Amino acid sequence: MRIKRYLLTGVLAAGILTTLIIKDSKSKPPFEEEELKLMNEELINLVKKGDELWHSPKLGTNGLTCANCHPDAANSNPHTFPKYQSNIGKVATLREMINWCIQIPLKGKTLPEDSEEMKALEAYSIYMHRGFKLKPGDNEKAYPPVRVESGPGYP
Amino acid sequence: MKISRRNLIKLSATAGLTAFTATSISPLLGVVNVAQANPRKKTKITPFNFAVIGDAHLYEMPNHRFDKTLERAVNDVLKMKPKPDFVVFIGDLANFGKKEELLKGKRILDKLRKAGIPYKMIPGEHDWYLDLGKFWKKLFGSPYWSFDHKGVHFIGMNSILVEDYWTARDMTPWERMLAIAELECHICGLWGVGEKQLQWLKEDVKNLSPDTPIVIFTHSPLWNYYPRWNFQTKDADAIRDILSKFEKVIAIHGHVHQVVYNRTGNMVHIGNLATSWPWPYPPVELPYPKIVMHRADPGDIYDGVGFATTYIDDTFLGNMKYVEWADLIPKDLKNGIPL
Repeated sequence: MRIKRYLLTGVLAAGILTTLIIKDSKSKPPFEEEELKLMNEELINLVKKGDELWHSPKLGTNGLTCANCHPDAANSNPHTFPKYQSNIGKVATLREMINWCIQIPLKGKTLPEDSEEMKALEAYSIYMHRGFKLKPGDNEKAYPPVRVESGPGYP
Repeated sequence: MKISRRNLIKLSATAGLTAFTATSISPLLGVVNVAQANPRKKTKITPFNFAVIGDAHLYEMPNHRFDKTLERAVNDVLKMKPKPDFVVFIGDLANFGKKEELLKGKRILDKLRKAGIPYKMIPGEHDWYLDLGKFWKKLFGSPYWSFDHKGVHFIGMNSILVEDYWTARDMTPWERMLAIAELECHICGLWGVGEKQLQWLKEDVKNLSPDTPIVIFTHSPLWNYYPRWNFQTKDADAIRDILSKFEKVIAIHGHVHQVVYNRTGNMVHIGNLATSWPWPYPPVELPYPKIVMHRADPGDIYDGVGFATTYIDDTFLGNMKYVEWADLIPKDLKNGIPL
């Protein structure tokens, strides 16, 4: 096993126990199945945190959440960034667009772009569009997310 | 440089509050092929119009943006010429079923009644799951009803009844409400009207002749659109079956916050805009992909939202016109959609 794992039990803001994987400097693919599983679990934990924030009125001040307009992260179009965003007036990244939504429709305070919260929101939006082709600059269409039959939309 | 769609596209149409266009000349007739009713057939209908408002999702806080958009819809209806015979509010007046939200909504809607325009209400899930409809019923009466107006039989039903998902989970009323307030609630299950209302509907239409014009209102669509977001009604098949004896049924629904159209058997279905915010189109193919709305500017509280006016002519051809405030409706739909 080329990954050393230190299991740190901690309670995140979302109240979820998580596992911290620390790779040593020599770790590289091919990974063992268990390693891949642990890495994916880390990702899903971030997605789950993003899901919770996406549905939380705490990002804003008027009761609205991201999910008011973007159920299952629909029409957040993560695969079309970066693109010229007419309401921002320049080429914007997904994170800048998320902050615009927090500031304008939600009437909230922007998040630092490198914050855990921002990473989580971005992860949720992207994960709900897994398998989509990248289309930077696409301003024509709004895209529905992956089709979800049941559950939250991720494992 | 700041590019705005508002600068790029000249608004060509003012809100469609006047001059109803005859459905027979609508460019959409060919697209949607609705000419099923014999246009020469004589009925006892005296032509009239009504308006449909819905999905206001009012929050408790004062001067909220959704107060402004509902008020704008009500004010527009008050200015309609000719005056609509009545208004149907198609569910989700409140966002969390709170008394303050419902009372605020009633205060705004009561302006209609004061101006001589009666309104009828059906509930949405956001009105219902804090106290299971108790306060809503106290304010607005029965959640299902029918009445006859100028030769047309109108029906309203409560389509948002789900199986109990809260008791086994030991949820408080507030937790129950918060869960179903998410469109993608994945513990709430599919909703419908339930057996009691199906029996009521059977009785209600039992003695009506097949040539009776029927208009039915439900919060959710009476066809299977996208169950994930409860864009469906569990017992829609049974409702369609009960109504299958009629020559034609117009079914108008809310919940989807978007322009959407479908036909099933003898029924034509159309979705109403919300006054609050637009929902995206779900990841399924639309039955009539040309009958859609433009993308909205999320920075404009008046974009992506609106209401509808419907004109019913003497042959029971309807024309539903979306009233929008920000270049939301494609040009060829601006004169209305034939029903």
